[in-house]
Amino acid sequence: MLDKDKEDIEIARNAKDIINQLAVFIRTAHIHDPGNVAVMTAVERFIATINPMIERGNVLTLDLVGEFFYLNESRVRYSMEYLLNFDFLVREFKRRGLGSVTINRKISPEDVQTFLKSFISCSYSGSPFDTLSDEMSKVDSLSVGPLKKIKEEGDVDVKKMVKKTYFNAVSFTKGVINKIKSGERVSLKKAKRVVESMVDMILEEEELLIGMTAIKDYDEYTYNHSVNVSILSVALGQRIGLSRKALTDLGLVALFHDIGKMEIPPEILNKPTNFNDDEWRVIKKHPFWGVRAILRLKGLDYTSVRTAIVAFEHHLNYDMSGYPKISRPLELDFYSKIVSLADQYDAMTSSRVYSRVPMAPDKALSIMLERAGTQLDPLLFKFFINMVGVFPIGTLVLLDTKELGLVYGGNTMFQDRPRVLVIIDSTGNRVKGDVVDLTEKNVSGKYLRTIVKTMDPNKYRINLAEYML
Amino acid sequence: MEVSEDIKSAKDILQTILKARKTIRMYPENNPIYRKTVEESFSKFEEFFGFKENLGLKIKQNEIFLDTEQIYFSSEKEDNLALFFFKDGLRELTFSRGMSQSELEDFLRIIALDFDREAVDDDVVTLLWEKDFQNIKYVADEAFLLEDEDYEAEAVKEVKSKAPETDEVLKAYAAAFDSEDVREVAIINLTDKDLQALVKEIEKDLHDKTPKIYEILFEMLAQSESAAEYEDIQRLLRDVFSYCVKQGNLKTVVDLMKKTKELADDPSAPEAMRRQMRILLSTVNSPESVKSVGEIFASDVEVDENVLAEYTGFLEKEAISPFMSLLGELESIRGRKIVINILIQLGKKDIQAVARGLQDQRWYLVRNIIYILRHIGDKKAVEYLLSTAKHTDERVRKEAIKTLGELKSPLALQTLKDCLNDADQSIRKSAVKALGNMGSETAKRIILENVSDKDFGNRDFEEKREFYEVLSHWSDAETADFMIKILKKRSFFRKAKNDEDKACAAHCLGLMGNKDSLPVLQKLRDSNNRLLREYAAVAIKKIENAR
Repeated sequence: MLDKDKEDIEIARNAKDIINQLAVFIRTAHIHDPGNVAVMTAVERFIATINPMIERGNVLTLDLVGEFFYLNESRVRYSMEYLLNFDFLVREFKRRGLGSVTINRKISPEDVQTFLKSFISCSYSGSPFDTLSDEMSKVDSLSVGPLKKIKEEGDVDVKKMVKKTYFNAVSFTKGVINKIKSGERVSLKKAKRVVESMVDMILEEEELLIGMTAIKDYDEYTYNHSVNVSILSVALGQRIGLSRKALTDLGLVALFHDIGKMEIPPEILNKPTNFNDDEWRVIKKHPFWGVRAILRLKGLDYTSVRTAIVAFEHHLNYDMSGYPKISRPLELDFYSKIVSLADQYDAMTSSRVYSRVPMAPDKALSIMLERAGTQLDPLLFKFFINMVGVFPIGTLVLLDTKELGLVYGGNTMFQDRPRVLVIIDSTGNRVKGDVVDLTEKNVSGKYLRTIVKTMDPNKYRINLAEYML
Repeated sequence: MEVSEDIKSAKDILQTILKARKTIRMYPENNPIYRKTVEESFSKFEEFFGFKENLGLKIKQNEIFLDTEQIYFSSEKEDNLALFFFKDGLRELTFSRGMSQSELEDFLRIIALDFDREAVDDDVVTLLWEKDFQNIKYVADEAFLLEDEDYEAEAVKEVKSKAPETDEVLKAYAAAFDSEDVREVAIINLTDKDLQALVKEIEKDLHDKTPKIYEILFEMLAQSESAAEYEDIQRLLRDVFSYCVKQGNLKTVVDLMKKTKELADDPSAPEAMRRQMRILLSTVNSPESVKSVGEIFASDVEVDENVLAEYTGFLEKEAISPFMSLLGELESIRGRKIVINILIQLGKKDIQAVARGLQDQRWYLVRNIIYILRHIGDKKAVEYLLSTAKHTDERVRKEAIKTLGELKSPLALQTLKDCLNDADQSIRKSAVKALGNMGSETAKRIILENVSDKDFGNRDFEEKREFYEVLSHWSDAETADFMIKILKKRSFFRKAKNDEDKACAAHCLGLMGNKDSLPVLQKLRDSNNRLLREYAAVAIKKIENAR
């Protein structure tokens, strides 16, 4: 048993290297001939990693599920340095409809050569996976399997869980803010539990939870906004490879970034018209009040210190042009930069008392693009836009099939081909909830659907959240 | 396997866990008992997994069940394993085949934490979550986190009530075919350079965050306008200060104090603000602060000497008493040395406060305080030290006598004189050395008187030599004459003792380098007494070499 444990640990340790090496030689083979020295060196390295594990009696199965690789059913987590190669491999697998590669006996350079040649040539065929599968049937040590559809659509339990996680978080935030308002000393232990649930959901069901951020209840704006910013921050954190623990810290920090607002008199906070100078002066004090509120929580620790920093800095801006005005420039905290992005995006796409009509997600993103480098960190913005996609979740789109839909989930590889929830079919009838993947092609290799137009969903009070609940 | 065996084995595992929990609390992880306990616990699980895939436990307030069978019960409030899990919302715990020993050890270390006593920021569920065990799964009830159970239903109702009418959606559909264009947001591809820049950002993010938070608080202070606001920020800074101290980062503490001092001394700052800064500065002297700093000294954390000196510079006499308490409590030699050095610096501000510690019952603490007073070097300490020369512990008395000698106060003469006749030889020796250190005429006279006493000759040779050696410090004519007189003394009785005295006198003259004594020493070189012969020869050599 102990040996098996060791073996599993060994496989897990090698998992990211296996995927990385696979990506390296496929990438190299795209440039050079598969028999080239550079390719063969990479292939040999791959074989040197694989064969010792096979010799010890293991069968290795690499599965692609959604956007993630699993080696022998364990999700492969990777660090930043591997991100591009992982993304490349996901894209190449998906392009061929390839879902799994199984190695059940020792592989030779010739076996890998056959795989490589077939892998490259099959992408030109009408049905790449079938071509690849036929070619690979000649090799005993390696077999391939088709890409399986993820079953998130219609998976009621998952949706329920996501919904529960979201509303638990909002309810909790409301409770905590009210407690702090009434002077109670609040511990962050419970808040951590709430955020841990969100982190779990983001790791497993990122798109569904991001979809929930489309809920922009303006009566409960502060609480929904806090949770939305937390979700978007954690999602960005996950994209840039932060650990689970760091994601919890980030989620907590984001959840309380606006806590200082509870001290703004409601008559100012809920004012339906523009703020005058005096009111602005009050609004601009909320970062100060935030620091005070957080540092007064029960017991100072790493998280509360970090939360206070972000509460102070989240309106400072990348170029220090924001507020509060400070005497000496500060170097913005990494989490402040992330939270600022999430905060601006959610605020712009929300309806608030003084701005009843929210912006369409793609418009918000265009404005943020202009602000990247001045108000917003340009590097993190790149990752943010890659996360929300050029057609962010909740965007109202018209397809070339004359269907109208809402963007339901992004696609990291093909950013202009998200998954779309169709709300009106091609005959003009209102329908409920079919999710279509815009990367799907017909037998001749042409895309089944393409976005031809985006529209402002708020103009028609259309909100993705209603379809998700 | 029989059901009863199944239950029996699970019960056995729970008992092993309970035992392991206690052992892990008691021993460090490299201790053989600790290691053996972990291995034993693991083998119990291995045994179970030999015939079953999973061990699934259901947790209630005071009970733990395997399926429907109760396998643990306790109604205690403390040391109740079921309650320990239950109170944080843990309801199910499943251990699966494939669990490694290190996984089990990590699990045992979590449940061994004493959440009531140790400063643990997280609950048991969070700690399990952070470990992300592959073969230990749990189900936690999140209901207790909810502030309002009906919130979800009401919120969903609210969102749905705002759903647009069909007309609105169809209106959107109709408008979709108008002239509105696709809003293009360019695809931004990530490059290797972006990734490298991000890695750098993430690495930079590992830096300590406390300097940033106090920078922010000082910024807030600068923008504050009322005395109440100054006081408020001062309190927050005090909390940050305590946090830094608890974190063991003395450098950050010092930087924070420097900044505070700058403001406290800034004449252009409002007086109300400066007052608050002075209050903050005084925090460093509080017993709580000193106690926390003591934890740094007691740990293995390297303390930079310059930082330590800067820290000491911020301390005021109010810190003396807490530091003396700390000195009595610290067990590590390194820690005590640091505190002693701090007290040597700090004690200069209030000798009396340091001297109060001389009343302590712990001999080692009293000895340390005497050492501190000696290094402070203030004669004012003598009046407090006199009584310690009569302390019940010999080690304390020696330290006191040595210190009295080094402080060179005439006030100590009588006490040292008394000590010359102490029953304990080592005390007498210490006292004569102390008098030698004083170097005064009176001190010399006291020793000469003592040496001249008729009973002195009966003392042990080593002791007598010590007295004569001390007298050599004066190196004057009176001492030389006294010694030569002894050398010339004739005696028919107690000849051996008389020769010992002469040997001591020869030793003294040799150390003095007194050439006038050479003729008489030459004579003694041929003495029948071997001891005297040898001492005379050595003395002659020393005097000649000194020429």
